[in-house]
Amino acid sequence: MDRQPSPLWTHATTKLRNTGTWRSAMPEYRTSLSPCLGACPVNGRIAEWIGLLKSGDVKGAWLTLVDNNPFPAIAGRICHHPCEAVCNRQQMDGAVSICSLERHVGDIAMSEGWSLPEPEAVGKKSVAIVGGGPAGLSAAYQLRRLGIKVTLFEQHQQLGGLLRHGIPSYRLDKNIVDCEIGRIIDMGVEVELCAEVGDHHALQKLHDEFDAVYLATGASRPKALPVLDYSKSWVIDSAEFLTVTNAGEPCRLGQNLVVIGGGSAAMDVARTARRLGRSVKLISLEPEHLLPAQKAEVDEAIEEGVEFVTGAEMQSISKDGDSLILECMRIKFNPGEERGRFTIDPVPGSEFQLRADAIISSIGQDADISRWQSLLDNDGTVVNTDNLWQTSTKGIFAGGDVASMDRFVTQAVGMGKQAAAEIGRYLGQLPSGETGANTSQTGFSDINTHYFPPAAPNQQANLEVEDRLQNFNEVQLPLAEDKALAEASRCFSCGSCIYCDNCYLYCPDMAITKLQRGYEVISDYCKGCGLCVAECPTGSVVMLEDRQG
Amino acid sequence: MKGENNIRLLSGNHAVSWGVKLARPQVAPLYPITPQTPILEKLTEFHSRGELDAELLTPESEHSAMSACVAASLTGARVFTATSSQGLLLMHELLHYASGARAPIVMFNVNRTPGSPWAFWPDQIDSLSQRDTGWIKMYSESPQESLDTVIQAFRISEKLSLPLMISHDAFYVSHAVEPVALPQQEQVDSFLPAYKPELRLDTSLGQSFGAPIDQATWNRSRRETAAAMARVENEVLETGKAWGELTGRSYAALEHYRTEGAGVVIVTMGSMCGTVRDAVDALREQGSAVGLLKVRQFRPLPVQTLRNSLAGIPCALVLDRNYSPGMGGILHQELKSALFAMDDAPRVHGFLTGVGGVNVASMKIQQLVTEYADAEPSVDSVWVE
Repeated sequence: MDRQPSPLWTHATTKLRNTGTWRSAMPEYRTSLSPCLGACPVNGRIAEWIGLLKSGDVKGAWLTLVDNNPFPAIAGRICHHPCEAVCNRQQMDGAVSICSLERHVGDIAMSEGWSLPEPEAVGKKSVAIVGGGPAGLSAAYQLRRLGIKVTLFEQHQQLGGLLRHGIPSYRLDKNIVDCEIGRIIDMGVEVELCAEVGDHHALQKLHDEFDAVYLATGASRPKALPVLDYSKSWVIDSAEFLTVTNAGEPCRLGQNLVVIGGGSAAMDVARTARRLGRSVKLISLEPEHLLPAQKAEVDEAIEEGVEFVTGAEMQSISKDGDSLILECMRIKFNPGEERGRFTIDPVPGSEFQLRADAIISSIGQDADISRWQSLLDNDGTVVNTDNLWQTSTKGIFAGGDVASMDRFVTQAVGMGKQAAAEIGRYLGQLPSGETGANTSQTGFSDINTHYFPPAAPNQQANLEVEDRLQNFNEVQLPLAEDKALAEASRCFSCGSCIYCDNCYLYCPDMAITKLQRGYEVISDYCKGCGLCVAECPTGSVVMLEDRQG
Repeated sequence: MKGENNIRLLSGNHAVSWGVKLARPQVAPLYPITPQTPILEKLTEFHSRGELDAELLTPESEHSAMSACVAASLTGARVFTATSSQGLLLMHELLHYASGARAPIVMFNVNRTPGSPWAFWPDQIDSLSQRDTGWIKMYSESPQESLDTVIQAFRISEKLSLPLMISHDAFYVSHAVEPVALPQQEQVDSFLPAYKPELRLDTSLGQSFGAPIDQATWNRSRRETAAAMARVENEVLETGKAWGELTGRSYAALEHYRTEGAGVVIVTMGSMCGTVRDAVDALREQGSAVGLLKVRQFRPLPVQTLRNSLAGIPCALVLDRNYSPGMGGILHQELKSALFAMDDAPRVHGFLTGVGGVNVASMKIQQLVTEYADAEPSVDSVWVE
């Protein structure tokens, strides 16, 4: 072969051709919000940490995770993962199993014994946090990172709140709770256990002693069914039942139990009772597809032999010797516009009876707000807060179940994080004003799916049913290492640069320079063709109109 | 014949497919069109049997097929495609692009009337109307020649970094079945070196293609093309000789058939050459000194060799199976231009024979010779019934 003609080929530079003058649009590198980030209760940078995991940097992935949430191993087990419901990959071949990946990273961090990054040295400002559940711990962690002296007041003997007392071990092993809370305490958070802040006087005292107070006492007061007499030995509330059983104390209820309620706690109660060898029926007003519990929890409860009586209401109880007779009726459930604003219509002639030895009521919990009545305004349900999580008393902030009807654990963690930032601003530890966050979101159409071969999701397996009922071992099994990496590689990294060099390689004008990390467009040569945008797998380059002055 | 014992009955199109298979292309973007489709079908058959280790692409149009050819060729792959008529015309834009990119793509075109009126007949206007696109253009007379030429084409094209289009006439060659000698794979491998361009799209090399250039560089690119075009005829000759040494069948840009001492030489291309051979034999039998000058390489037109071949011949009859509206037969125009200002040039008569695929019988050609051998030529091409 002869020497090929060379003027057609560009070897190093297109310097002589100032093609930038042709341009009417110019690409811009931009980290856009991935849908998962938008949906995440803690605003976790999911695309970023999965990208790090994909590249083999597990520690980097974990550090990115704990920037927003100090509980990756906990959230990786129990988060309701709204991220997966909006994952762009759903529109191709199934959402990325983000929650399982979070657990994968969280578990590695525990087995490697990683510590949270060293926080700022403690300065002069101090904050009291009331309540050592997810919201309080999250706020403590974020405030401590800002160099604030944090004292955490917890009424129980141990920290954790719902994580410890509400969620059974088969969903969340207590060693994990100990480990992830322990890391926060190790950052230098002062903890006062068995320290109840019982009324507005006590709260006012903290307000006087500390520069700010964060109230995160949760919702610990069980809602009561009017038809039930809670003083009877055969009636117990779910919170009490779970506290007792989670503490490993014996259950004194009879063999045949009826659980009333359709939420996550009702599932926890029913499944715990099954593990204690009881026969369990669960009555809910909602039909099965409208149960407030997550679908996986309902499915697993059914697998474990919980008998569901959905779309029904218990109307009265009578005794037949030691046995209870529950008079029930089928109902039509009308969900209503807002959560909790449902109505029911009894179906005439649908009466039926259930027999039981005991009843566990699990219809939700209210926040105990009357304690602060004279100090903090409330709306009858929760403590009032403004959009900065500040209560009606300046310097007292509130979050979690005491201040919100968003009752998922990770929502509480997110509220704690937000409140910490607001408290930081209030105390001058953080610059005030808008964060100027970029709000553009990456849609499925921004992804170049040619760069992502079809691959079915890698989902974590569950313990076999017969292996579950004998013990409280975790039901969800971890993803194997290879499965986790395969799953991470399914992530489109929506809106995040993955440094693949496509833009650099495809640019016909060599108008893109590689930086240490990232790229830059040389405006003298970019003619605005948009090839870089078309070939970007993740939608992290966008074209913007450019009038060139 | 040397080293060949494998004679098969093959249509012209299947002979092309066999030649392509032996040449081992790496990428072949193909789009079906009558009467080219049997080339594609045979190649996909080879491919499905594992006998052709190429990436066969089936894009949505010929335009995309040629786009894929250009891109694949620039990565350093050996590339083949085939088309016909409307398909070739749809590629038009990319034909310029391919030659400008100096991409050595080998394409086989089956000459067919372009619509309208809608038809499928043999007529060379589809490929001749692409004469200024910068491709080497060759015309084949028979299935054997099509097979031999497609193999040689890769060597010529890749040597000079110029795309090469070979054409044979619809049905007369494409679907007519003749005995074809198949060379051995080892013979072809020894004849055709692997294609390994130094400049190619390869992320490890850090060079790119397609940057806009200034006027002077564009100008320079065409002068470089001209220099390469000037070397084509010699390369065709050398390659044809080497093929002859291997197979006993030699080729050149032009072929002379019984032109010794001829008073009349018939000049034509493609399938009509076979009929002309018959007419020449008949006329020689009758004592007329008539010969055939077959134009195998049409672009670049081998001007000097044409002038040498026809110097001192009293009369040349050009038979065109094409019609350029407003100017007549294209080979006729080309020959008049090639013989410009030559003292001993023949009288050149141009005939529009076989336009639209009509049959041109041997007897008709003999009549033309008898009628026009001593006549004064007209500057315009003459329609022949």
